[in-house]
Amino acid sequence: MDDTTMERPLREGERLVELDVRTQDVEINMGPQHPATHGVLRVLLRADGEILTGAQSHLGYLHRCAEKIGESVDWLQYLPYTDRYDYLSAMNNNLAYSLAVEKLLGIEVPERAQYIRVILAELNRICSHLVAVGTYGLDIGAFTPFFYALRERELLLDIFEKICGARLTYAFIRPGGLMNDAPAGWTDQVRAFTDLFERKWREYWDLLVDNKIFVERTANVGVISEEQAIAWGCTGPMLRGSGVDWDLRRDQPYLVYDRLDFEVVVGQGYRGTVGDCFDRNYVRMYEMLESNRIVRQCLEQMPEGEIQHPEVGLVLRPAPGEAYVGIENPRGELGHYLVSDGNKIARRLRVRGPSFSNLALAEHLLPGCMLADAAAIIGSVDIVVGETDR
Amino acid sequence: MSALLPFAAAGNGLTDWLAGLFPAGVPFWILGLLGAVIAFALIMVFVSVLAMFSTWLERKVAGHIQVRYGPMRVGGWHGWAQAIADGVKLLIKEDIVLADADRALFKIAPCLVLGAALAAFVALPFGPNAIVADLDLGVFFILAVSSVTTLGVIMAGWGSNNKWSLYGAMREAAQVASYEIPLGLSLMMPVMYYGSLSLHRAGEMQADWFGLHWYVFSDSFWLAIPSFILFFTAALAETKRSPFDLPESESELVAGFHTEYSGIRFSFFFMEEYAAMYLMSAVGTAFWFGAWNFPGLELLAGSALYAPLAVTVFVVKSMILVFVMMWVRWTVPRIRIDQVMTMGYKYLTPLCLILVFLASVWEWAKAALTGA
Amino acid sequence: MAKDATRDTAWGPVEIHREAARAAADALRSAGCPVELHEPNLPTYAPPGEGKRLAKKHKEENPEYEWRGDSYLLLTDRLRLLEVARFLRDELGYDMLIDATAVDFDAADDHLWAVYQLLALGRKTRLTLKTMVPKADCRIDSLVPVWPAANWHEREAAEMFGIVYTGHPDPRPLLLPEDWVGHPLRKDYQYPDEYHGISCK
Repeated sequence: MDDTTMERPLREGERLVELDVRTQDVEINMGPQHPATHGVLRVLLRADGEILTGAQSHLGYLHRCAEKIGESVDWLQYLPYTDRYDYLSAMNNNLAYSLAVEKLLGIEVPERAQYIRVILAELNRICSHLVAVGTYGLDIGAFTPFFYALRERELLLDIFEKICGARLTYAFIRPGGLMNDAPAGWTDQVRAFTDLFERKWREYWDLLVDNKIFVERTANVGVISEEQAIAWGCTGPMLRGSGVDWDLRRDQPYLVYDRLDFEVVVGQGYRGTVGDCFDRNYVRMYEMLESNRIVRQCLEQMPEGEIQHPEVGLVLRPAPGEAYVGIENPRGELGHYLVSDGNKIARRLRVRGPSFSNLALAEHLLPGCMLADAAAIIGSVDIVVGETDR
Repeated sequence: MSALLPFAAAGNGLTDWLAGLFPAGVPFWILGLLGAVIAFALIMVFVSVLAMFSTWLERKVAGHIQVRYGPMRVGGWHGWAQAIADGVKLLIKEDIVLADADRALFKIAPCLVLGAALAAFVALPFGPNAIVADLDLGVFFILAVSSVTTLGVIMAGWGSNNKWSLYGAMREAAQVASYEIPLGLSLMMPVMYYGSLSLHRAGEMQADWFGLHWYVFSDSFWLAIPSFILFFTAALAETKRSPFDLPESESELVAGFHTEYSGIRFSFFFMEEYAAMYLMSAVGTAFWFGAWNFPGLELLAGSALYAPLAVTVFVVKSMILVFVMMWVRWTVPRIRIDQVMTMGYKYLTPLCLILVFLASVWEWAKAALTGA
Repeated sequence: MAKDATRDTAWGPVEIHREAARAAADALRSAGCPVELHEPNLPTYAPPGEGKRLAKKHKEENPEYEWRGDSYLLLTDRLRLLEVARFLRDELGYDMLIDATAVDFDAADDHLWAVYQLLALGRKTRLTLKTMVPKADCRIDSLVPVWPAANWHEREAAEMFGIVYTGHPDPRPLLLPEDWVGHPLRKDYQYPDEYHGISCK
């Protein structure tokens, strides 16, 4: 809009006013090196003072050609690459890929392996949500909750380290089963964690989520309507935060989720509108408790037995065909679309990352918000750039 | 603080003390110049030590709030030498001036910022007589001079030729411009109570009741407590401390106005922050919490211990308020710029005005009733 | 909580999706859309020792092609993609586009596949829609008007496979640099020797 000119003819007594202040929008690069973009996302912002008038995401700073690599390494050799798309939920990535390959192989892993997979996936979900909630605090400007969250995450990483020797990139859940069985005492350690976590959860709630300033900063900010979330293909807490009751663990049950009792947490506009930043964070907060419940039930139900399918070796030759398997990653639906020609290398390995679709919507939420809200909104999407770029 | 003591026992301020040392014929400008040099040295030393201690304290406070220890290694006992090591590091680090920066502004800004903060220390009483210059306008001078730092921040933001820095500078300008009002107004309550703008005079007036006649315990306590809360909130905004740390808000503006600074220039901003925190805390202490007065301290009046103890009491009280600022910083999230403005103009300023009205009626009524 | 969804296998429900594909194929055919239903002819679970036998068979190019996995709908006339997509969304309730991608199965093929993964939240079913895009005329309608979610997925497929999505609102490269030469996920892609002076070997 140009305020300095007037379209209509002047009436009597009127004169043209030249405004002596002319403003111009600022174009400003948020990232690729910026504390609030969680990695190397670059968002080109246009701003009129503190108000954003446009936003454009630029991806690819962390592109590591995962899909191309998938077409040149063995089915099993690809497993470590799955750790690296969403490095905060590597167990879930392993699981998603393993299930897709098993679908092509036509095998089902032994029950004990399925239970251990669920335990690991859910502990990993807590792990990932802890980082999500903690770093969201950082985005809003609260430093301390991050350290509280990392304190519990450290215990989880110890649990992972005990079972597989790695703390971040595991390559533990693999097509055909698991790398190894749980060592002695591991289940006790997990049980101790679940008891502890329920108490500690309250601390994050009191310190961060129910903090007046935090609510002011997140409630009614970055509202995503139900229709919008569905049309843009948002999944995970981003979809549930907008009030859509959809969880792949319940609605497309895989592994042993159909035997477990848990609630699907849906955003309710607890402090503002349904689908605002607060709700997305709220969903993550309560999902941690639900995951905790799932882990407890799994510990009780877990049978003894094998953890590896007997016929699966190191070189896999899935049948020709194509399979899509999507599972509920902490950030949403992580899908693998595999095309096999019966050889030991995939013809096509497509990764559908949740952050990728979730982020596509985020840039449309920014115009009209304030600059500080950009950090709040991008943080509430909880992207991991390793996955948007793959 | 012992450096301040020679003149603490003598007359009223540094120049008076100097005048007593020299024969009467020495021209005043020599005394003034000498006084200025000594005062500068003293304040510089004090602020440097203060900044070092405060950075160490801040890191320890942050650490303990965040279920960790903070620095533990440098120097042995709880990492006491960490701040010294950091200081040395900042001194020997490369000082980068961007090619596209406005070099003059970029270089002046940190000096201006720190200089203004140092200048404000002139009117700060550390003890009954330990004051560089007991200005009648005391607190007014402190407010006026310390807001010059804003100018330096804007210069830094503009001179860096970086949009994030510019945003930080603009936020600082907006924030300080709006919070100067409640800050000034909230100081009106004690000023009316004491009938003076001098912090030194405020300290002297709180000496009764065995050293406990503090403004917060006086008959005006019902004005003192809300006015202190308003003052402290405004002071947080004025010193760019969380939750009002918008000019340098890390997660939004990278590092705000000092994004492009490194080495010694960066440390100037750092020292200014702690100097300003101490300054505001000291004003709060002097006006609300009895300055250097403390129960039992008067018994020592006249002895050699009195002056150093009084100074210690004052510094410790101020540091407690500094600690509260740190505590707040590591506990709460940051508010948004529109919320900062809303809070300043819609809540703090009207509340201050109401208090000013009540205080003026109250103090007038008191004076009328006692016939003073 | 409602446990109305079925779990057939450890990797999720199978039968419900096959059923959905059949239903969608019938509905589309009766609406006059040229779709073929392709269903896997191998059993869901592999009999022991199957893997090696199949691979050998495939190498010998057995005309009786056996495969496993998801059934899919093949749209034989790619020009009617938008119409089919609208029908799927509005009439059959596939309100969510989970993924849009492409596959270059073989460098010798003269077609690329464009593959869409759809999800019906209400009926809890998935559907794979596939259509062939000739490499000689690598154009296909963009699905952004139907599902905005297609936006970034199509941008990615466009730069990786060289498919031109007509009607895409923002056809810039997404992950690759703007000046990248070639389409890396094509099977006939030649690796560059260097990029802006950086050796790629």
